[in-house]
Amino acid sequence: MRRWILALDISHWTLTLDVRLMEQPEAVREAFEQEFGRFARFRGAESAAFDGLRLADVETTLRELSDLRTRHTGKKSALANLKKQIGRAAAEERAQFAQAVQQLEARIAEEIAKVERALQDTAARLRTERERLDVTLPGRRIRRGHVHPINLIRQRLEDIFVAMGYTVEDGPEIENDFYNFTALNIPESHPARSPQDTFYTTDGFALRSQTSTVQIHAMQRRQPPLRVIAPGKVFRRDTPDATHNPMFFQIEGLVVDRGISMAHLKGTVTEFLRRLFGTDVRTRFRPSYFPFTEPSAEFDFSCFKCGGTGCALCKQSGWIELGGSGMVHPNVLRAAGVDPAEFSGFAFGFGIDRMCILLYDLDDIRLLFENDVRFLEQFD
Amino acid sequence: MNISYNWLRELVAVELSAEELRERLTMRGLEVEAVTQAGDDYVLEVAVLSNRADLLSHLGVAREVSVLMGVPLRQPDATPVQAEGRAENFTAVEIVDPDLCPRYAARIVRSVKVGPSPEWLVKRLQAVGQRPINNIADITNYVMLETGQPLHAFDLEKLYERRIVVRRAQTGEKLMTLDDVERELDAEMLVIADGARAVALAGVMGGADSEISATTRDVLIESAYFSPASVRRTARKLGMQTDASDRFERGTDYEGVVRAQARCVALICELAGGAATVDAIDVYPQKIEPPTVTLRLPRVRALTGLPIEPQDTIRILTALGCEPVQAAVLGGEQMPADTTALELATVYPGATFSFAGPSWRTDIRIEEDLIEEVGRHFGYEHMQDELPAANAVGEYRAHEERRRAARRALVAQGYSEAINFSFIDAAHDEQFELLPALKARANDGTDHFVTLANPIIETAARMRPSLLSGLLAAVRHNFNHGTRDVSLFETGRVFAARGADEERPHERDALALVTTGRVREAERATASREVDFYDLKGALEAAIEAMKTGALEFAATDARHLRAGQAARVSLAGQAIGTVGRLADEIAAAYKFRQPVYVAEMDFAALLAARPAPARYTPLPRFPSVVRDVTLLVDRHVSFAELRRAVLELHIAYCQSAEVIDVYEGEKLPEDTRAITLRLEFRAPERTLRDEEVDVLYGQIVAALGQKFAAHLR
Repeated sequence: MRRWILALDISHWTLTLDVRLMEQPEAVREAFEQEFGRFARFRGAESAAFDGLRLADVETTLRELSDLRTRHTGKKSALANLKKQIGRAAAEERAQFAQAVQQLEARIAEEIAKVERALQDTAARLRTERERLDVTLPGRRIRRGHVHPINLIRQRLEDIFVAMGYTVEDGPEIENDFYNFTALNIPESHPARSPQDTFYTTDGFALRSQTSTVQIHAMQRRQPPLRVIAPGKVFRRDTPDATHNPMFFQIEGLVVDRGISMAHLKGTVTEFLRRLFGTDVRTRFRPSYFPFTEPSAEFDFSCFKCGGTGCALCKQSGWIELGGSGMVHPNVLRAAGVDPAEFSGFAFGFGIDRMCILLYDLDDIRLLFENDVRFLEQFD
Repeated sequence: MNISYNWLRELVAVELSAEELRERLTMRGLEVEAVTQAGDDYVLEVAVLSNRADLLSHLGVAREVSVLMGVPLRQPDATPVQAEGRAENFTAVEIVDPDLCPRYAARIVRSVKVGPSPEWLVKRLQAVGQRPINNIADITNYVMLETGQPLHAFDLEKLYERRIVVRRAQTGEKLMTLDDVERELDAEMLVIADGARAVALAGVMGGADSEISATTRDVLIESAYFSPASVRRTARKLGMQTDASDRFERGTDYEGVVRAQARCVALICELAGGAATVDAIDVYPQKIEPPTVTLRLPRVRALTGLPIEPQDTIRILTALGCEPVQAAVLGGEQMPADTTALELATVYPGATFSFAGPSWRTDIRIEEDLIEEVGRHFGYEHMQDELPAANAVGEYRAHEERRRAARRALVAQGYSEAINFSFIDAAHDEQFELLPALKARANDGTDHFVTLANPIIETAARMRPSLLSGLLAAVRHNFNHGTRDVSLFETGRVFAARGADEERPHERDALALVTTGRVREAERATASREVDFYDLKGALEAAIEAMKTGALEFAATDARHLRAGQAARVSLAGQAIGTVGRLADEIAAAYKFRQPVYVAEMDFAALLAARPAPARYTPLPRFPSVVRDVTLLVDRHVSFAELRRAVLELHIAYCQSAEVIDVYEGEKLPEDTRAITLRLEFRAPERTLRDEEVDVLYGQIVAALGQKFAAHLR
């Protein structure tokens, strides 16, 4: 129909001109198609044309595509020229021409956009790929330090006893004779007093040889009823070896009240050990002798490793020896100004170092005071 | 003490195996450390508690077994097969010093034949670790191991005038003891002498001159009770420790003296022939009374918490040899004479009894001692778990939260906690500047250190006045083991001598830090850079911030152990509490450190006790602030703190803060100058400041700084 009308007007000059006009979009289209040809294969991000393409190639192609768009749709492009001619076209042809130009413009835009989208998607995909992280690399933080294992345990013990209603006490590390020996009912002739066993200063003071000294300070400071624990450093003249140090840590417990019995001692030690090792712990008290308690007993607890059936840790006995205990000797109560007719009390003590050996399976306690970073780093 | 199982079974009928016995004895306070087989016998190694002298004998252990099994003890035979004549016909005994020898008994056996012991005796001695000598010596040993009573045999003919004098030695008197060592004696030592000279060191060892030999015919058997303190003193003084002194020192059975002697004499007659005297010369001028101990029956349950019936108490104590001598019930009513203690206790469970302690038990003195005996034999395994009624709330040491906060903060900063020995080498005496608190307390300068009189090693005799020597030694230790990036801290006491009018040496809690090497990231082998002064300062500030004490002030200073120009004095609320800086080159050289080491030491006690600086709310600003940066070219000696203080001291209300942005020094700047860039922040609480206003304020500040520090604006 259109052709027929065109043919009808063919003899007219202007008509001849207009026929050329109507052909122009097609020419522009062909010119575009020719140049666009090499991009056409990138239609669709799944296109095989993308295989093996590197991000740089894709980015170059995107830039070239952008240039192509400028050339074919920019202000100086043939398409722009066609658009300018719409106004000049003969009235009767204008609509038709305009429509052709618009269709052309839309088609060019769509073709470019399609490829561009595919290229951008691919570029984004390749970029993501390139920025993929090794999430297994370590996080970024300063290398932290570690609390000394003795203090780790000490804090744990303090937490348990404070929760059980105990007050944490401390006393001097350099003691006089009264607190270190006399008040603890240690007789003049006792070997513990000898300079073989206890450190003395040149002016006659002793480095405290047990935290029991704090019993006296505590009773003098606060009247019974009282319940205290005293963790701290103590000193004995032992030559260092795998199981001895001339300095170590003890913790002492003391309860003084009316009507305190050995059953309270046992119950307290059991309760504390259960909080530390679990509810199935059992304790065992064996008669012993200490000058500052009467009756005296050493206590063992069921092995936390094997549960009491026997293993290397408990030397197949099922029991682990931990410390000494007993009912506070009336002479000790008197020395601290407490009336043994009214009050009785129990005391117990054990080595924090010993707890360290048990909990961490240490084979040489000299390591505790060498401060080798490789050692300290192992504890939390 | 080694106990022969077969021997024990002669003294008490025990059905238990050696292993079963081990378990039972251990739970009664006689810890059996090992059981070993010796031929057809077993040897039980008993760790005897230091207060139980009576257990250094088979009879003593047998007595415990008899109580725990409820079977009678069998006293060994002590009647000599042949006896004639009275001892006083053959010898005489005089005790010159009864204070050191309350009892001495001598008995004679004539016409013995000295030779080897029979096989059973040799085997038994060897089983418990004794070396056989000859029958006479072996028998005295045997009876000692059986009864706990040390005995000594003299060759009667070698005693001058055939008599015994127990006296103190004369100063300078000499005695050749059995071990062929000539001992020089002093006037506090007790000897056994004959009519002329000392022949034995009483309670410790016999003399060589009067020793039993192959030709000995008549023997004098000594059995005595010596003062424990006297024997202990003599043995210590001469550096001797023998089976006899071990027993006498702890206290032997003063009533068993003659009986043990009779046992010995009976065995000699049996095994070496001879005839004993029918009696002994027993010099015992003042009978020793056993202590009478009062026991209130209800106290047994009250103190042990064990369900012990009064009958149990009487039964156990009687079996152990404690004689009930008197009983009373409430109101003072005396007991009818014909009732037994057991009956009384059953009827009157609230009664009070008096017991005479056995003569072989030196450890029973007070009521609690009796209660322990009852509880021990009733069995601690029957004890229940009870908790005392709550009467208090738990409480940490003062400032425990701050201690832990500091510890956590330092750990987070990469520092590990060290614990060093409290005694150090005196060589460190003048190395470190001490904490102000110690310096101030040190008495007039001569010796302000606490020194051990008996260190284990000479190079560890000082009680540390500073934590730094320990930390530096730890750094050295780590270097030696290939760790070159080391950050450590320690809290602990440092010490100073007491002043003339003070009761005790000073102890003060200190906190010290050391860091060296590179800044390390967790789990990475690489390090970002070398640590420097500001890393240490930062760690310290982090700890102090966590302690919430308010900020520290730092000022350049000189300190003995710090390198000049890299040392700061640290103060809290105007009070000097420590120093921080780079370790001085001389000290670093002494430790052979070839990389910079930074150290800090603080008065931890002062930090712990500081007034807390609690968080407080300030309303959020409603108007924006304006910032202006200024770069000043100043002399290198002008510190940031001075610049900042100068700004703030202008008291320009709208100038809120002055913080450092950057510090530059280098070739582009004139020598001895540096450029510090500060950021000034201006804000008005009620409105937005206009630029022109800020410009005026900024101008004032810059002008003031320029004038005060000859600072040039760049």
